[in-house]
Amino acid sequence: MGIESENKEIEKNLRDIARNLLQEKKVDAILGYSKGTAPLSTSPIIIRHIDEVNKLIWNNLCYMNLAKYLVPRIPQLKSPKGEDLKIGIIAKGCVGRALIHLNVEKQLNLDNIKIIGISCNGIVNRKRIEREIGEKEIFEVSTSENNIMIKGKDFEKKFSFDEYINELCKVCKVKSPPKDSELEDIFIGESREMKSIDDDFSDLKEFESKSPEEKWQYIKELLEPCIRCYACREACPMCYCNLCFVDQNKPIWFGKTTDLSDIIIFHLVRAMHLAGRCVACGACSSVCPMGIDLNMITRKLEKLVKERFNFTSGLNSKFLPPMMAYNMEDDEEFMLEEN
Amino acid sequence: MDQKILMKNEIGKLYIELAEEYNFYAPVINKGNLIYNKILNPDEIILDFYNSKIPPKEILFPKMETLFEYKTDGKNIEEIIERKDLDEYNIIFGIRPCDAQAFMLMENFFALGDIKDNLFLKKKENTVLIGIGCNIPKSTCFCTSVNGHPFKSDYLDIFMIDLGEKYLVEGISDKGKNMLEKLTWLSKSTKADIQKGEELSKKAEESFKTKLDVKDIEKILEQSFDHPIWTEISDICMGCGICSFLCPTCTCFDVIDENDQYNNRGRRIRIWDTCQFCLYTLHTSGHNPRDSSIERCRNRILHKFCYYPKNYDMLGCVGCGRCIQLCPVNNDLRKIIEKVNKIKEEEKVNA
Repeated sequence: MGIESENKEIEKNLRDIARNLLQEKKVDAILGYSKGTAPLSTSPIIIRHIDEVNKLIWNNLCYMNLAKYLVPRIPQLKSPKGEDLKIGIIAKGCVGRALIHLNVEKQLNLDNIKIIGISCNGIVNRKRIEREIGEKEIFEVSTSENNIMIKGKDFEKKFSFDEYINELCKVCKVKSPPKDSELEDIFIGESREMKSIDDDFSDLKEFESKSPEEKWQYIKELLEPCIRCYACREACPMCYCNLCFVDQNKPIWFGKTTDLSDIIIFHLVRAMHLAGRCVACGACSSVCPMGIDLNMITRKLEKLVKERFNFTSGLNSKFLPPMMAYNMEDDEEFMLEEN
Repeated sequence: MDQKILMKNEIGKLYIELAEEYNFYAPVINKGNLIYNKILNPDEIILDFYNSKIPPKEILFPKMETLFEYKTDGKNIEEIIERKDLDEYNIIFGIRPCDAQAFMLMENFFALGDIKDNLFLKKKENTVLIGIGCNIPKSTCFCTSVNGHPFKSDYLDIFMIDLGEKYLVEGISDKGKNMLEKLTWLSKSTKADIQKGEELSKKAEESFKTKLDVKDIEKILEQSFDHPIWTEISDICMGCGICSFLCPTCTCFDVIDENDQYNNRGRRIRIWDTCQFCLYTLHTSGHNPRDSSIERCRNRILHKFCYYPKNYDMLGCVGCGRCIQLCPVNNDLRKIIEKVNKIKEEEKVNA
């Protein structure tokens, strides 16, 4: 079955599930994706009425991680009395991982959530396509067989789907939400038994073969265009701190300027905070207005945590992440011993 | 004054002649993003473009700007005066009419009141805006709805129309006219050139797909501060700074003192700030009148479409469409304006 017809079937199924959930009053609202008005975009949507269910869509541009909207600081998902609304959330694999990990970190009220699992083929690398199309306006994006078709005024371009999806999607083995015994009761739709991920991280070989100077150069060049709009942080389901370290101002913890040193310290400290927590959804890179692709940094973190602690985030509520556990047997080879 | 002709293959010549005296800014592609950069080699200039990702406001109102620097020996403080940019002259080549209109709005803002922002105003005074009309506006453009036009030359010093192989060039302000007078090698335009320019202008105007109704918006917004519509408008907003950082008219900044005690020096800087951030209106007491995205989204819309008309008698939006193209959750300004207009219709029905 082609990608397009798979998407159509997923879309039909998720609308049916959403309609039932609303009809049977099992949820107050459905959190999903709707058609975008700008090229290469989709828009998250909160559906409250059955007659709006057909606004829900599914395609390879559903790049946002909707789990972000369930972390406690979003006021719109409350009733007028301030109670949490019951939400049905459309969950591709990485949204499922985010929900499991947020559950581990005790950030979700499971009583009020229904997870509608779907299987994802990968998300289009919109920033790469935008860059390659350049100064032309895109009017229409579609998938046909194994290609992404881009149409605009006086031009048409074909991109190979396998090549032009997000780097993180290329190596994704999760696709649909992992099965999790703690979330079983609130789960509808597709899920996948997934105790661990078999991953050789071969995509990191090229980066790892670089010398420290070359790696530093790579990071500097990668982050240099950053304008510090914090879209990466805001799109990240794991960045839910009430006050981010970089916003601390009594006293100021980190420089807030667009000096390269300040930019780098923001991104690297944020990366540290995501070690063993990042669920590889790629939302940070998909939303960056300057087209900065953070996948190499997040992948490297994932590998380090896997190697040292044999942990992958968001696969099962029972596995304690390294940042939340203390184990006497943990390797400490990085500690400097006194002679 | 007569209109002149600049051949596209003469842009190198223009650059060489002007770059001695001026910092010559023009559109370039930098890491996949079209931005205005100081040109070192005229071959880098991109002439076939819609508009830049970062608005040219960045040149006169940079993401980060030092206000002053000092050094100290522990007892005495001495100001370090190294900055030269205020005495330098700039050309912004290829600026779009909407972004030039935005500079006019910024100038009004920075000149308002008794204490003027001399940094911005001095730089603006030293800058010559050489604009190009938009033959093909983007589908997200809506300048014609907000007092603009793809060929509006009012806020430019020199206005150019892209005729294919050449530009039709016209001096608008005295600054621009004087500059053109010195460029004696520019050829004369023909009647046919001028006529073609007029046709292009008309064609561009007719091609607009986005038309916003903003005629009553100031009044509706004024009466809708507590309307539930703001909850709906902000429900998917994540609270990043894209819509305001990349808005050509947004002027908010944050002032920060940096003390480099190890090197016995310090500086006061300003960086871009935005009403979308959590610290923006946070009071010392801990109270924040704009505590969530509801109030923050409302503020952005009210500032541009209600407070600006009130304070300056003009809209604070120039219709460049950057916020529409770049919003990560596609919270489309066009839809927001539509929803606001519906408030009035609903009231009519209820009445």
